Amino acid sequence: MLEISDLHVSVGEDAKPILKGLSLSVPAGEVHAIMGPNGSGKSTLSYALTGRDGYEATGEIRFDGEDITDMAPEERAAKGLFLSFQYPVEIPGVPTLTFLKEALNAQRRTRGEDEMSAPDFIKYVRERAAKLNVSTDMLKRPVNVGFSGGEKKRLEILQALVLEPRFLILDETDSGLDIDALKVVSDGVNALRSPDRGMLVITHYQRLLDHITPDRVHVMADGRIVASGGPELARELEAEGYDKYVRAA
Amino acid sequence: MFSINPPLDPARHSPRKRGEKPGGCGMTVLFKPDLDESGLAETLANLPTRRDEHWKWSDLRRAANDVEGVGTLVVSGVDGDNLVPEDGARIDLTTLASAGASAADVTLTVKAGRSVTMVERHAAEAGSLGNVHVKIEIEAGARLDRIIVMPDTSESVFIASSEIVLGEGATLNQTALDFGGKLNRCETHVTHPGAQTHVRLDGVYLLKSGRHADQTSIVRHTGPGGTLSQLTKGAVMSGGQGVFRGKIIVERAAQKTDARMTHRGLLLGDRAEIDAKPELEIYADDVQCAHGNALGAMDDEALFYMRQRGIPKLKARALLIESFLAEPLDGIADEGLRAELLALLRSRLESVS
Repeated sequence: MLEISDLHVSVGEDAKPILKGLSLSVPAGEVHAIMGPNGSGKSTLSYALTGRDGYEATGEIRFDGEDITDMAPEERAAKGLFLSFQYPVEIPGVPTLTFLKEALNAQRRTRGEDEMSAPDFIKYVRERAAKLNVSTDMLKRPVNVGFSGGEKKRLEILQALVLEPRFLILDETDSGLDIDALKVVSDGVNALRSPDRGMLVITHYQRLLDHITPDRVHVMADGRIVASGGPELARELEAEGYDKYVRAA
Repeated sequence: MFSINPPLDPARHSPRKRGEKPGGCGMTVLFKPDLDESGLAETLANLPTRRDEHWKWSDLRRAANDVEGVGTLVVSGVDGDNLVPEDGARIDLTTLASAGASAADVTLTVKAGRSVTMVERHAAEAGSLGNVHVKIEIEAGARLDRIIVMPDTSESVFIASSEIVLGEGATLNQTALDFGGKLNRCETHVTHPGAQTHVRLDGVYLLKSGRHADQTSIVRHTGPGGTLSQLTKGAVMSGGQGVFRGKIIVERAAQKTDARMTHRGLLLGDRAEIDAKPELEIYADDVQCAHGNALGAMDDEALFYMRQRGIPKLKARALLIESFLAEPLDGIADEGLRAELLALLRSRLESVS
């Protein structure tokens, strides 16, 4: 479903190479985890996959067989690629509900589908918000403004439930979450698991993977995947750390 | 009558002074409504330039260098030019400056205890230099809600100037919206000798290439316990120029004044220009005064966040600019007027982004 081959990304004014020939394949229906120490290029990977300005890539990113390497972020989003941000961005002045409606209908327009009417949309969002304990009050407030860390992450997952993307990238989704919020968020993510949807879970710690069990675990170091295995690899990393992979890279 | 100390220097019909002294708040002087051809050349030659401190970023003589002849400034929507409205009245004042130099005076008195709304919509034809000057007195306990929409053309020069005096416990709630002209200036002078007055002075400007908007205000607190809340926000694209000048003077007698002035500008291109000068002059010791001035560029993080959710780049930009600029419009008391100005802003955003 998502095929990444020989991805190179350089960042910043000095064009510092961050990703150095990363290859990875995530089939539909599977959840893959990427684990790695700070500075290994995990967030750069999430930005390169979603097309952020300044993270232009060489190599190839194929999504459902289509080359999306040079597509604009909004085109990739309409194709079903969704990034849950490590640090969700505050947008003062734009109510959350308005933002969700703009996003959903923009994607629908891009795909040539009908827009959702306002009453249908309210009902559609409320059903999903209830699952994540997102209050009506939160939906009226500007996007992420004044939200706690846990509220921001719940709103990320709510956006995924509303937009129903075909592929999710979760970037350090557990950061800033207490145990209760982690449970709510992982339940939301698990509800999105389905045979035609893929997921890439990027995390520093194994903790999140106790709640969202991956099919495969990849270790990232120095801009490449240096080891891959089953869920047991995550527990091994938790016990032994990243040292041996960092040294090998 | 109020006793004004020091007296407001109307100076309107006297020659402009170079190099204002500190604490000065010389009122804009352009020309009289009865300007005729014989005095035109001298008047135009004496227009202020960027060498005048008050016109540093708005060189009027240069902007008006192609103005020829005497024009007319038609004021409509009101009976006469000396207005004394009833309580609850709404005045819709429109002006149109034809090509050439022209001026008009309007006087408004809001009688004690009354509440009045005045909506000014100014328009100008190509080659015009217009100056509408409004003198307003808001008597004790009275309230004025004032909306100013500036002319929206690239080939006109327009000055909307006003002198406002507030009595005890009076309220002024003013919002100006400006999409710029060849040179537009909205200049507001407020004096409140009365105690416990409340003034809100808000403004929004959104400028494309070739447009210039100047929002200048001077608020002189001479009576105690007054409050001032000022919020101006502007967004300027490459080739546009925004100017914000705000001066707050708190005289010795104006103890317990609470004055806050904020200007925030969004630079939307490499050749966008915003010049800002917030000033405080405080002679009283028991006051709270604050001013903030910040210029920034489009928030790339927010732009990417919105695009990642599927909102196209242009739409995301327009939403972000709108959310930034709409804040001062929140101060408009009348819901219908607030919606109307927001709609104006929105349609302009759709056409420029």
